[in-house]
Amino acid sequence: MGAWAFGIRIWLAVVVALLASFWLELEAPSSAAVTVAILAVPTRGQALDKAVYRSIATLIGVTASLAITGIFSQTRDLLLAALAGWTGLCVYAAGLMDGTRAYAAVLSGYTVALIAIQQLDTPEHVFEGGMARGAAIAVGIVAIAIVNDVLAAPDNHPQLASRLAALHGRVRDYANAMFQDVASDTIAAAGLLRDIAALHPDLTSLASESANGTVRGAAARGTAVALVAAVSAARALKALPLTADTGMAARDLALRDAQVRDGLTALGTGTRPRRAWRTPLYRSHEIAAAAGIRAAACIALAAVFLVWAGWPTAEFSLSLVVVVIGLGATTPSPNGFTVIAFVVAPIAAALAGTLEFVVLNGVNEFALLALALAPFVIGTAVLSTRSNPVLASLGRLSLVFMLVIFAPSNPPAYDPQSFLFTSLFLCVGIALLLAAQMLIPTESSERRQNWILTSARRDFERVLSRRDRGLAPEEAMFRDATRIAQIPASATNPRDSAVLAEALSYFDRAAAIRLARAQEVVS
Amino acid sequence: MHAFSELIIGDVFLAPFISYAVTALVIILALRPILRLCRFDKLFSHPAVAELSLYVTILGLLTVAF
Repeated sequence: MGAWAFGIRIWLAVVVALLASFWLELEAPSSAAVTVAILAVPTRGQALDKAVYRSIATLIGVTASLAITGIFSQTRDLLLAALAGWTGLCVYAAGLMDGTRAYAAVLSGYTVALIAIQQLDTPEHVFEGGMARGAAIAVGIVAIAIVNDVLAAPDNHPQLASRLAALHGRVRDYANAMFQDVASDTIAAAGLLRDIAALHPDLTSLASESANGTVRGAAARGTAVALVAAVSAARALKALPLTADTGMAARDLALRDAQVRDGLTALGTGTRPRRAWRTPLYRSHEIAAAAGIRAAACIALAAVFLVWAGWPTAEFSLSLVVVVIGLGATTPSPNGFTVIAFVVAPIAAALAGTLEFVVLNGVNEFALLALALAPFVIGTAVLSTRSNPVLASLGRLSLVFMLVIFAPSNPPAYDPQSFLFTSLFLCVGIALLLAAQMLIPTESSERRQNWILTSARRDFERVLSRRDRGLAPEEAMFRDATRIAQIPASATNPRDSAVLAEALSYFDRAAAIRLARAQEVVS
Repeated sequence: MHAFSELIIGDVFLAPFISYAVTALVIILALRPILRLCRFDKLFSHPAVAELSLYVTILGLLTVAF
């Protein structure tokens, strides 16, 4: 039921965005519809959060487009190199963030492709292109914000509270469980820390939800930090020998449990929590830099091929390559994302073709356009809410690509040649990217593990030499938990278990030292 | 009738509505702590619609007043 309501909201928002863009006679009405499709997330707070970052990133991207075009408009090859460099930089920045912030970073990158590259032969129109895109995005944002408000889209905080409560139960179970060996204990603890750290993007998006958003955000962050501290306390308690006096460790665990309960109550009632903790995020600069370099190299390869091929609308393909690289960089597996995009492109082309030439087939009335859009938009939006990640990505990408290919305009074009070119170059662009990603290898998971472990060792040495940053012990624990969450590991590989065990040992020891120091200061 | 003042940034004219919309957004964000103290969320069955209405009211007042 919730999924269908979500689908109907997205359809209504697309219709409102198109109606407003046609009425305002915007140059790029389809961008407004695509904005709605991109902001199609089930809860109001997430949509608003993404909208804010989309606006900021568009502003940065348009400014970068103007600068890049201004400097390199006479030298095509340097302009393409600048695009590759800028996108690589943005993908690197995205690697240091998560959630909507990472999305904003890549959007700043691919906005340059959508504006500067699509106007490659007419650099004097870059400014108008940027303004038209900005205006359409603003209309799209307003449309989805109003539809979400009026149709009472659900808030994110009840869902987040239930996920935090479920994790609280799991942390309690973990504290009470007796594991047969160290390996299963390690995997259970790492799994818990991974699931708590996975909530980080949601913790930061609560602020824009309502007047109480900042307070609820603080409560949710405090709860997540307390959950990590509870895992740490449970591990400290388990590490003690049976004969030892466990009183202090047990009291610490009980304190963390009470802090989690306080946080959950504050989140539910919308009151200020007793303790406000930040949730610092660990990101590996090495992994982010490798992703940035790979993205720049993929764009450079695709650009060389397209320049060499000399096709008439190659700039459209290149801009799509950059968009797919950018969107893929915000997912755990960029190559997997490209494969899904490669599968979705022909499906989206078929959907857009059916909509344009079978269902609508020459009509001019807006009401008929709105009605014809309904099954396509609602169907793909409902698909995007499925719990299966492949189906969800399929739905989300079909919705965006379908609207990109269909590109509703006023008056409608119904141009089969333009439809065929757009569909063909979409598929060609993604196929090129897939080939480039196969040619340029990704770093192995062993290397990633080594980078993360090296940083864990370095940070632990800083703790020992009292050079660690000014974070509260609990906040530092959360940061360490987000580091463990990034270690690529499978439950069956003994090497992965050893890596996780080493990372957890740094986590435990650093936490114990920091807490002891904090108590020294208090006493 | 009063003349709408256009915002000009580097020789680019921006529609007055944009400055009103952005100002209203800034005002509503500044009002949020006060709304929280007034327990705004508890006053209405649909606080999101109430907040949107407040935004539209502020936008309307700005348009009429300036």
